[in-house]
Amino acid sequence: MDLILMTLATGIMVGGIYALVALGWVLIYKCSGVLNLAMGEMTLIGAYVSLSFYSMGIPFLASLLIMLVIGFILGILVERIFLDRLIGEPVLTVIMVTVGLSFFFKGTLEFIWGTDTRVFSPPVFSIEPIRFGPIIIGSVYLWSFMAAIILLVVFVCFFKYTRWGLAMQATADDEMAALSLGVSARYVYAAAWAIAFMAAGVGGTLLGNINGLNISVAYLGLLVLPVVVLGGLNSVPGAILGGVIIGVLQNFCGAYLDQFFPGGVKEIAPFAFMAVFLLWKPYGIWGWERIERV
Amino acid sequence: MSTTFLPCGEYHQNYHEDHAWWQTRFIKGKMIALMLMLFIGIPYVADEYWLSVCNQIGYTALGALGVQLLIGFCGQVTLGHAAFLAVGAYTSTLLILEFPWPKLLLDLGLAYPLSIFIAAVAAGIWSVIFGLPSAKVKGFYLILTTMAAQFITVDFVITQYISQIGGRGQAFSLPPGTIKIGPWVIDSDLKIYYMMIALVIVLTAAVLNLLRSRVGRAWVAIRDNDISAEVMGINVVQYKLFAFFVAGFIGGVAGAFWISNLAAISPEHFPWFWSLWLVGVILIGGVGSIHGTIFGSIFMVVVMELLQMAVIPLAASYPKLLMDFLFIKEAAFGLAICAFMIFEPNGLAYRWWQTKNYFNLWPFSY
Repeated sequence: MDLILMTLATGIMVGGIYALVALGWVLIYKCSGVLNLAMGEMTLIGAYVSLSFYSMGIPFLASLLIMLVIGFILGILVERIFLDRLIGEPVLTVIMVTVGLSFFFKGTLEFIWGTDTRVFSPPVFSIEPIRFGPIIIGSVYLWSFMAAIILLVVFVCFFKYTRWGLAMQATADDEMAALSLGVSARYVYAAAWAIAFMAAGVGGTLLGNINGLNISVAYLGLLVLPVVVLGGLNSVPGAILGGVIIGVLQNFCGAYLDQFFPGGVKEIAPFAFMAVFLLWKPYGIWGWERIERV
Repeated sequence: MSTTFLPCGEYHQNYHEDHAWWQTRFIKGKMIALMLMLFIGIPYVADEYWLSVCNQIGYTALGALGVQLLIGFCGQVTLGHAAFLAVGAYTSTLLILEFPWPKLLLDLGLAYPLSIFIAAVAAGIWSVIFGLPSAKVKGFYLILTTMAAQFITVDFVITQYISQIGGRGQAFSLPPGTIKIGPWVIDSDLKIYYMMIALVIVLTAAVLNLLRSRVGRAWVAIRDNDISAEVMGINVVQYKLFAFFVAGFIGGVAGAFWISNLAAISPEHFPWFWSLWLVGVILIGGVGSIHGTIFGSIFMVVVMELLQMAVIPLAASYPKLLMDFLFIKEAAFGLAICAFMIFEPNGLAYRWWQTKNYFNLWPFSY
């Protein structure tokens, strides 16, 4: 029983981080219709940038802030240089450009930082686990979860209450109507990429704090795809719920199935689950069902 | 991409000519010259290094052919084709190593060719299994299920279970002399080259013929609009699954062929990167064109080799460059795909088509 509770708690907390990254993905998709496969590398960039500043001796929060600024600039640059020219192109073209971007990022990152695992040293969060009655949780998980929740709330407030956020929501809802009301779609696209970059960067930094940082963290960024498919591609609450579900699923598979199928089950389970889930509900939990006509 | 125009002043006078493989005598001569160059010219001129580059091109082209069939002609985007290459390679290897072949077949050197065929069928069936979701989902969702195919097949089934067969752990090594076709032991780059050329020509011709038939027309109809295809009475699911089977079959042949070039085979030879690489090849070559598959493979492999050559002199002063060449290659590949998508979305085959038409219509182009 304790094990179940503990697995559940850890799963929810990791799921919070996934939800954060998935939020950025859904944002890009909703605003500009781009299906982004470079999300994993975007998490890595943010993580490596904040790690570098942190190892220079800058306090963690300050390096996180610097990372946010750099992520913002990079997001706008990427949108301006690559994605802006592809508006109206076929889906495969856009997807493959994001794949190309992911390779470009990955190669560059490996070239600069190498492939060895790096850790945040000294550790940002204390190693002492926190106890809630019978449940024991690593404090990294708890803090990451809290940071993810705070950021999620900040993002949701941004979309609900600021002029910019409302403009982005309007574009996501109906691009033509938004354009005719004087919303600049180009700024919205750029802003979507900037925000996605920042969200991914925070997610990557938190994930890097849990297990150390190497190139395979990008795989955790790929997990965002099952997450968004589960929640429905264009649903923000769906992304959050999907993140939590995938996090829990992963941890349960790691805890219970690993003894039957040694190794790797934790990494594969979300994709296998997604493939089966798609057959049952092709538009996710809250995605829009698209009716096709000839 | 439509067909090329006939040369200025030439006309077809009956259906037989209109449906001919080689439409003019010039094309026939050109193709014969190409065959002569492939079978005699290149082996005569090229040294070991360039032959191995040619083999890589052939392997890439074989792998990309299946991807081209799925993406370019049937519209089913796949990002997990390396899984089927892996299934082909592993099936063939395991058959060679573990299967009790009758003495007669071994003496005749038929074990490897037969294993290629069985591996191809196995890869085709495996591909159909992962193509089943295409009956219900399409577009981005299908991309995700093919990605799932890659991770489930290579990272899980093969790494965790298949590799453990025989207690070898990670890699299967093929003892020299086991890869044997008829009386020839495939042990030099030249022999691999001939095998590669034969396979590429046979499979390309097979795919081209398939595309000229009812099946090919059905695939193109599904690609262009699957709902109208269904309305026209095409059994969409059946044809989609058949496309997956053929693509997997070709992938299996490619994988089984490539073990002749590898001393040891391990899951690292079939990463997700390789799936994406194959898609990149057809995008650069041109989607929906068999020429494009070949052009794309030549372009990618040769450019990467040239990049490596450019890096070697620089490495004298910056040794890090050579060590990290793999990463440079990845970044260059990424940039190349982005650049092609942005500046030349029709790929190299489109340029080839334009050039041919220019000369065909010369001097009276409209």
